[in-house]
Amino acid sequence: MTRERAQAGGVPRQGVSRRALLGGGIAAGLGVVAGAGIGAGGVLGYQRVSAAQADETIDLRQSHPFYATGTRMPQPGVRTSPQRYCVFMAFDLASGALTRDLQVLLARWSAAIAQLQAGKTVGAVVPVSGVGAGQDTGEALDLGPASLTVTVGLGPGVFDDRFGLAGRKPAKLAELPTLPSDRLDPALVGGDLSLQACADDPQVAYHAIRDLARIARGTATVRWTVLGFGRASAGPDQTTPRNLFGFKDGTRNIESDADFQKWVWAGADQDWMAGGTYQIVRKIQMNIEIWDADDIADQQKIFGRTKIAGAPLSGGQEHTTPDFAVKDAAGRTKIDMRSHIALAAHENNDGVKILRRPYNYTDGLNQYGQLDAGLLFLVYANDPDHFVRLQRRLGASDLLNEYVAHVGSAVFAVPPAPAEGSYIGQPLFA
Amino acid sequence: MPSADRPRLVLLAAVLGAASALTLAGCSSTTPGTPDPSTGSGASAVDITMTSGGSGDQCAASTTTVAAGPVTFTVQNTSATGIIEFELLQDQRIIGEKENLAPGLAPVSFTVTLDGGKYQLYCPGAQKEFTDFTVTGKAAAAGSSDTAALLAEGAKGYAGYVSARLSDLLDGSKKLQAAIDAGDIAQAKTVYAGTRQFYEKVESDVAGFVKPGSSPTDNAGNLDYLVDMRASNLDPAVGWHGFHAIERDLWKNGRITDDTKKLAAELVENVTTLTDLSKDLTFKPEDLANGAAGLLEEVQSNKISGEEEAYSHIDLVDLASNVEGARQAFAYLEPGLKKINASLTENITKQFQNVDRVLAAYRDANALGGYVTYDEATKKAAANTISQAVQALQDPLSQIAQKVATAS
Repeated sequence: MTRERAQAGGVPRQGVSRRALLGGGIAAGLGVVAGAGIGAGGVLGYQRVSAAQADETIDLRQSHPFYATGTRMPQPGVRTSPQRYCVFMAFDLASGALTRDLQVLLARWSAAIAQLQAGKTVGAVVPVSGVGAGQDTGEALDLGPASLTVTVGLGPGVFDDRFGLAGRKPAKLAELPTLPSDRLDPALVGGDLSLQACADDPQVAYHAIRDLARIARGTATVRWTVLGFGRASAGPDQTTPRNLFGFKDGTRNIESDADFQKWVWAGADQDWMAGGTYQIVRKIQMNIEIWDADDIADQQKIFGRTKIAGAPLSGGQEHTTPDFAVKDAAGRTKIDMRSHIALAAHENNDGVKILRRPYNYTDGLNQYGQLDAGLLFLVYANDPDHFVRLQRRLGASDLLNEYVAHVGSAVFAVPPAPAEGSYIGQPLFA
Repeated sequence: MPSADRPRLVLLAAVLGAASALTLAGCSSTTPGTPDPSTGSGASAVDITMTSGGSGDQCAASTTTVAAGPVTFTVQNTSATGIIEFELLQDQRIIGEKENLAPGLAPVSFTVTLDGGKYQLYCPGAQKEFTDFTVTGKAAAAGSSDTAALLAEGAKGYAGYVSARLSDLLDGSKKLQAAIDAGDIAQAKTVYAGTRQFYEKVESDVAGFVKPGSSPTDNAGNLDYLVDMRASNLDPAVGWHGFHAIERDLWKNGRITDDTKKLAAELVENVTTLTDLSKDLTFKPEDLANGAAGLLEEVQSNKISGEEEAYSHIDLVDLASNVEGARQAFAYLEPGLKKINASLTENITKQFQNVDRVLAAYRDANALGGYVTYDEATKKAAANTISQAVQALQDPLSQIAQKVATAS
């Protein structure tokens, strides 16, 4: 946090320096829960931390374009370098909502997202007449675009018999099967529509969700939501962040164009999905206080990596390819076969990879007075079954299962980005 | 964000490029709109097109002068993400409008009959938001269909509704006093549950009155405080009076004391004062709209939580009454509002029906006041559903005030 403040404050920019500082302040405040993990790494890892990469400076003036400039371009928020904060919300289409209502909602959301990603309001904060309620709620005024991206997903329910879209349903879109170790709370499962709003300022992300939910009223009702306070995955130019267990997570994420083509971007199973992808959302509760009491050697064995450097237990540095065969003197594999990285590795799963874009979340305290926190696990894949395959193995055998519970789950089709003058999913209604 | 990025509160002197359509920058060489041959009705046609441009969203009209008579506005948002609605204004009053505009949606249109005179085309969020619009000649007499007259008539009719409910409230309060004086707890509970609704239906219109001669900041003279104060917001200097103090005696204490009788007598006295003060109430159309939205705010802030009827748990009776009061206010505005914005009117009607449908599940003819007791179990099962349905109604309803506001 100190480093971030120094950098943000040390780059005086007209109009943004105050916000940059404020952003640091908010991060510091929200980081209380994560502090244990970061602190543990901080003492020993001080040298390394001070030499961190340049991506840690946040420029809140940055914005991502919303509209596609070519064909088969994905929506922003999938390959976009993960922003610091993220809010996820799932909606149900209201009973009685018509095809036309869904169309208007997707069109209004698209236009509004284009405005929001540019750092603009969605309609007037104060109506010019001075009478009546404002269109935009106003709390993001002057905060800048903060690299906001909003990604819209369509759940399986959109393609049931309500909207005449059954014939357009992608073959790969179906509710996830029951998976080993699932402890799903019915209140945190499914949804007809999803919004993932990520930004480098938490209030920018929250404002986007709030105002988009407002636009949806009457057509869709809120089903469940998760507020991610810290990014837990890295883009190509970012350092790997840590989950709330204090470990670097997602070191071996999808990065290359070839892997995106092979594993993330959807083909022409349905014309309108070409260039899109599928979003799998899991709310994973983590029993962090129990974890904190676990012996460090056991923690490292569970992940298959060292805690500070994130190096595989088979040796090397963070980005060294793990060797799942190499054995210790006692003849056991150095990386336990039931460790998290062994079970998740593509080498051990017929090459299957998924794009992970998770965020740490906290919901305050649970009913037992323990810290209620975990991982908002956002996954993108061109076939939800890829996630299913991995989770079948992890849910059945992962040493980590003692400390985690999958409590929320949903799957959505994420159509490609619309061209200017169009909206998300428009070809569905043609 | 530089302020130039936020055009909606700033009127910029626009310099717009020439286009086949006249831009709303106010080009003077306008040609009168021609009757649209496709409709066969002789209506003039005006096309409004919204596009995004390098310097902001643009809003262009095919013409800015038409002859008096029926005029059809066809509105299409081609690529302007910042424009959600279009309005036709006269003297700051909305004559007609279209909402929910977004790029990619099919064009929408509305037809209005216009008298000769000066109007304005208003595109909130456009780089240039207002453009003068001229109607030449005179239209056939609009008569009773005139929107402003319809709204004014509705506001007058609503005043009658309010005074009828206050009169019901006074009758009910007297019956409550009679039951309490007779020491009949069961009867008093029944009358209580049957009387609360009248206050809840018009609360937002009558909540601002104080006893003659008393200060607005002194709760001792604040009639809303004296009639309707809940346990949660008591002013120790004034103490507890009114319906909810009686509710506590009947349900929590389970007995009628001399104090209860005193409270009932006071209630009748205060409701009488309120009725007298409200006798000559007049309303403007926007008062009805704000009142309706205010009643739904009551639902969301006090009824959903079960705070209003903490002892009798007849919150759903109050809640349904708030909704009914809002519906009445809306119904009186409906004839005029329909002319201004038919789809908004339709949506609000639909949302009222949806709230009715949700509430119907909690009706119970045998229960006090006709709704099931709002206990913890009911609240847990019902609160989210009811609240979301009411919110979906409250949002469009809160948009009405600016539509029906009379410039005065």
